[in-house]
Amino acid sequence: MFKLEAYNKLLVSTSVAAVLALSVVGCMGESTAPSGSDASVSLDIDGGVSHPVVNGKTGNYYVNPQAIGAKINNGRVPNAAELAKWDTDLQPVTELSPEGHGIPEGSGSVEDGETIYEAQCVMCHGDFGSGGGGYPALSKGNAYDLQKTLTNNRWKDPEADGPTRVFGSYWPQVTTMWWYIRDGMPHPFSDSLSVDETYALTAYILNINEMEIDGEEVDDEYVLDRAKFLKIKMPNVDGFEPNIAGANALPAVRAYFGKASNFGGQNLNQGAVRCMTDCQEPTAKIKRIQNGGIKDFIPAMNVTRDLPVKEAVAIDVKKVYTESCAMCHSAFLAPGSGDWAGYTPKGIDKVYANGIKGTEGGMPAKGGTDLSDADFKTMVDYLISGKIK
Amino acid sequence: MDNKESQDQTTIDRRDFFKKAAAVSVTALAGTSLLANESAGKGDPAIMHHTKWGRKWGDPVTKNQYGIPSAYEHNVIRRSTKLLASGNFRASIAVTPIHESQGIITPNGLFFSRSHGGTAHVDPNEYRLMIHGLVEKPIVLTLAELKRYPSVTRTHFIECPANGGQEWRGPQFNSVQFAKGFMASAEWTGVYIKTILEDLGLKPTAQWMLAEGSDNSKMGRTLPIDKILDDAMIVWGQNGEALRPEQGYPVRLLVPGWEGNLCVKWLRRLEFSQEPWYCKEETSKYTDLKPTGKAIQHFYANEVNSTVTSPSPELPWTDLKDGDVVEIEGLAWSGMGTITAVDLSFDGGKNYEEANLKGLVLSKSWTRWSYMHTYKKGKKLLLTSRAIDDAGYIQPTIDQEVSVMGVEAVYHRNAVETWEVTEEGKVNHVQIRSV
Repeated sequence: MFKLEAYNKLLVSTSVAAVLALSVVGCMGESTAPSGSDASVSLDIDGGVSHPVVNGKTGNYYVNPQAIGAKINNGRVPNAAELAKWDTDLQPVTELSPEGHGIPEGSGSVEDGETIYEAQCVMCHGDFGSGGGGYPALSKGNAYDLQKTLTNNRWKDPEADGPTRVFGSYWPQVTTMWWYIRDGMPHPFSDSLSVDETYALTAYILNINEMEIDGEEVDDEYVLDRAKFLKIKMPNVDGFEPNIAGANALPAVRAYFGKASNFGGQNLNQGAVRCMTDCQEPTAKIKRIQNGGIKDFIPAMNVTRDLPVKEAVAIDVKKVYTESCAMCHSAFLAPGSGDWAGYTPKGIDKVYANGIKGTEGGMPAKGGTDLSDADFKTMVDYLISGKIK
Repeated sequence: MDNKESQDQTTIDRRDFFKKAAAVSVTALAGTSLLANESAGKGDPAIMHHTKWGRKWGDPVTKNQYGIPSAYEHNVIRRSTKLLASGNFRASIAVTPIHESQGIITPNGLFFSRSHGGTAHVDPNEYRLMIHGLVEKPIVLTLAELKRYPSVTRTHFIECPANGGQEWRGPQFNSVQFAKGFMASAEWTGVYIKTILEDLGLKPTAQWMLAEGSDNSKMGRTLPIDKILDDAMIVWGQNGEALRPEQGYPVRLLVPGWEGNLCVKWLRRLEFSQEPWYCKEETSKYTDLKPTGKAIQHFYANEVNSTVTSPSPELPWTDLKDGDVVEIEGLAWSGMGTITAVDLSFDGGKNYEEANLKGLVLSKSWTRWSYMHTYKKGKKLLLTSRAIDDAGYIQPTIDQEVSVMGVEAVYHRNAVETWEVTEEGKVNHVQIRSV
């Protein structure tokens, strides 16, 4: 039964794509090109080209026809506990969904939220959510006032103030904040806050954004719970396009992205021209990188093909001694005697040289290690120092 | 080593010799005639001397059982910058050296890396994928069970929609790696989601799918059903091997042509719903604010785009001689279809000539283009490339794009970009624009 529905869905999708292409569609696998000439392409929701399977191929790729519609029955049905454990997402209140989705019972106060914030959040998000340390600001002041800055654009006046995009002024839904705090915060130790702690932090963030719920200011005494949470309306809830909510969202999205001028595109099928001669806007001029630009590349930009400079890594003298020297040099510090006195008078350089090259019937070259000369000398110094005793 | 010129070659010690040989090969790679170097007449030392590797044993085959690049390639690496250091480089990006890229495949180790809570290291034995919501039968799959579906292999780029996004108000990076390297391309292997849905049965009210990662940010995004029933894939293979941890090992979503951010890594859960989700990375970020004050949300496809990779700020023409014939090369790509043409301008977009596509030209894939140019020493150029795709999209001028989008959008900037080639052959990033 569900099998059939899946196919119906596939059929619907293909027809919609074809309708968008202003053409007629027969069945799955047959569609019409944007130009009306090529049966192997159709338009997708993004206004781009997709390639239904035609004559055993999708675009340039062959398709195994046996794999389409094959009865594959892998895996198992998850149990309720498993679903509950992972299905922790939140969806906002909408017309179709008056209770939202996944919004749990619980409560937390602004006061408790501030305490948690000061303990676990302030080091990254700054005092009162002001930002810093490479983490985003959570507030820049009154959300309703700052929402009005979203029409600021440094397009024609580079010196003007830009728009302020923080939680209060920009985000369309409060469920995003609750969900992200619960599942993704604190950044180095995520998934560690309780439901009530999450309500408390959300309350605190609403407070520093100077927001209201149902006409009531979220002041220092405010206690947020699920019922109040459902009533939160973000100042910028209507600030986004295309519309994605409701039972007929997808046609709206298709229509939006079907029109290049909505998103700054130029489409040759929608009146754009492929200009080849004398194309430049007369007012256009060369704009160069200002003030040297950004160049703190990590690591620094370099295209040479040389050998990397080896970073000197200090050897662990005790470890090397135990693994490579102790077999002989624990019984006697220097070959054949109890100390180095008989050797060092010839000069330490002679000791180093003998050690590095090895001596006939005695010391193997570098004691059989692959130490660098410098590291080997460090080992000699270590042995002579007598610290191993 | 510069003072060695007057000395007999044989007195040069080995250490200096190898430095010199390396310098000569770099010059050779850049296309200059060897006869132009100081050893003309005596012969090129790289030929005349015994090489270190030519008369000694090389490594046994048992060394490097997973191969590594030549030590000489150590500068061909992903890079980051403090500007993008968010979250101690754990909500950050490291970008691909596209000036060093060959063909249309990026090696896995160089594939740009973006995460929202650091690179997760998932134990494949504990890997589970849960699919639920508006389906007739929810399921949970192990990695082995997932891989048992019939696989498909496709070549697609993944591009961060913030590629070029630091430069809405003017050029900032004198580097093609940073100006255009928030992307890479690979051959991916996995299963179409629609293949799995044939068994699960999608309910008719389903409009959206949530994809959620298992990393510490639980990175999630909403996708429309259209794309799921078209070409969205769950992938485990990249360029013939398992995904790298930076790419979501063991399993990520692959949404051909669309925002890289939608290709959720360390994927653990897909849920179908009638209403969308409003995830953090599709509201607070990855939305394009226009001068009207409205922001575009769910801006799926990376639009048609191109860049000149050679020459570039990293690969200048300072060593070219007058009259040298040189290949101008670049990449073109579109998340909305297949590249049909690339035009190249030498005067910053005033006049264009059509360049040549080369190699495989695939849908939603990097496409190589090429133009043979006779270099005129001392002549300043403004190199601008412009790509066209089979959905009819052509790259806008900066003025055209900015007139609709303003300069605060951050994402999806695909206007033409320009390299200035100076009289000396140096290459600078510039923009040709009115405001």
